[in-house]
Amino acid sequence: MTSPVLELSRVSKSFGAARALIDVDLAVHPREVVAVVGDNGAGKSTLAGVLAGVYPPDAGEMRVDGEPVRFADPGAARARGIATVFQELALCDNLDVVENLFLGHEPVRGALLDEIAMERRAWELLDQLGASVPSVRVPVAALTGGQRRTVAIARGLLGDPRVVVLDEPTASLGIRQTAELLNLVERLRERGHSVVFVSHATSDVQAVADRIVVLRLGRVNGEFEADAATSEDLLAAMTGARPVRRGGGR
Amino acid sequence: MGAVQQRGSLTQVELAGITGLSPASVSNIVKELVEAGVLSTAPSTRSGRRAQLVTLARNLGLVAGVHIGTRSMRVALADASLQVVGEQRMPLAPDHRADAGLERAAMLVEEMIAAVDGSPGELLGVGIGVPAPVDVRTGEVSTAGLLRGWDGADVAATLTDLLAVPVRVDNDANLGALAEARHGAGAGHDPVAYVRVSHGVGGGIVLGGSLLHGRGGAAGEIGHVTIDENGPVCRCGNRGCLETFVGAPVLLHMLAASHGHLTLRDVIMRARDGDAGSRRVLFDAGQHLGVAAANLCNIVDPEIVVIGGQLAEAGELLLGPLRTALEQRTVPSVSGPPQVVASQFGASAEVRGALAAALDAARSAGALGVGS
Repeated sequence: MTSPVLELSRVSKSFGAARALIDVDLAVHPREVVAVVGDNGAGKSTLAGVLAGVYPPDAGEMRVDGEPVRFADPGAARARGIATVFQELALCDNLDVVENLFLGHEPVRGALLDEIAMERRAWELLDQLGASVPSVRVPVAALTGGQRRTVAIARGLLGDPRVVVLDEPTASLGIRQTAELLNLVERLRERGHSVVFVSHATSDVQAVADRIVVLRLGRVNGEFEADAATSEDLLAAMTGARPVRRGGGR
Repeated sequence: MGAVQQRGSLTQVELAGITGLSPASVSNIVKELVEAGVLSTAPSTRSGRRAQLVTLARNLGLVAGVHIGTRSMRVALADASLQVVGEQRMPLAPDHRADAGLERAAMLVEEMIAAVDGSPGELLGVGIGVPAPVDVRTGEVSTAGLLRGWDGADVAATLTDLLAVPVRVDNDANLGALAEARHGAGAGHDPVAYVRVSHGVGGGIVLGGSLLHGRGGAAGEIGHVTIDENGPVCRCGNRGCLETFVGAPVLLHMLAASHGHLTLRDVIMRARDGDAGSRRVLFDAGQHLGVAAANLCNIVDPEIVVIGGQLAEAGELLLGPLRTALEQRTVPSVSGPPQVVASQFGASAEVRGALAAALDAARSAGALGVGS
């Protein structure tokens, strides 16, 4: 069996007296979609933040390719091949798609921005994602919710990351855009990326995940092989109706 | 045209951006196509500016086709001439339930109509295929145990409630067979046998232009033909069914120890790249399918056997051994063995058939003004 790209062992994180994550273990293998589900306040977004390098963990270890790492900031996580797309997409509404994609690391030719290279790369990325963005020169304010999320994900893919972390990617999307996003997750996996899919929408998660990790009140309260888990199993683990720890055979 | 069909609707300026043509020539081309009745335009606004929204012309109304699969669903929208104006796929959870699945399908149909600037009243009918035998007279799933969460589901009534249009329900492989026989790889042949190999295995037979349904819709259910009397117990409760040898869970399980967790698409891609284990699994699956298809051929004697479903994407890696096994076991004929070909519509075959069924439903309800 392949060794994990990204591994957390006994990671904890507190905000003052509130313990958001307690002894969390998580392993992400190459080309694997790992879903993290849980109720509100279960620690999902904190976990995404830890993976992104936004919150340094208080205790526990994080390893990339078996090597212990400590991310000082999101840039450090990106440099190790972990890209995170947050619920708040952090796009600039007044800038167009190309400007948003390359903001802060524009390629230059001589003293000028290499607009042609940027535009070409933008279309390449959006095509890979199967995106239906009408033009890369429209301000992102004019795009639909699903298209904006695709642009945010495309920006995450710029450095060719190995792990893409998606925090609540289907929240506030219509059914058609949700369908597009789930197809996109499958496409990321096919292209060799690993995906951490953080969400509370169990039916979306079950549709694309290989493995599902359930968080409850900051702890891992169950781990399932996706094709063996029923929605009742997941619900029971999310609400704590009965303690479960199953699957995770690797 | 391709650009408009893919996106449903877009403005002339966007069209120029995508095709790389100048706005002036796009405007001229659009004008010509509107006069020819292929496209239609409507004034609209984008980012506060006036714009011409371009869509495919819909003369009579829209029909929707839905294909519920084991792990995904596909919805297509077409005009009354079966010109597809939009298509959308959505992955589904394992063991999804009928009520939730149909609700999602109905919502997708509504959003897709909105995306081509249509009104809900334009929808004339819906055709839907599910991966289990269906009693076409009542529109209910007629078997127990084949599709967990869908046993005895009244698909037609539920969807009619949600969308308020006539609904026609059939087995998915039957609809795939209909599409391939009418417009696809089987066009011009009679009888046509269609075998769909994806997560499960299904089949359909088109005789003299119409589908063979049988007593309760289970005709052509080739996945549950016995190929080993003492074989493993199948999800249907019988032993040694074809599906216990070539169903996706079985194929993936065979590779699990050496290759880890894979999807069907992973196996096909690896086999294409030359992975020996994946190739072997597809080869064996082809042989088993050939044995079962030969039995079907000896009873129906089709002119052509069309292989569809996701596994057909493996091409000759699957079809080669299938053809050999089939030729060894069919009654020799002076005209040679039946042709074995891959489906023309691929993953869209079932949803194409569902569109045809939707049009039939609309026609018999008199929605097209020409009742039958």
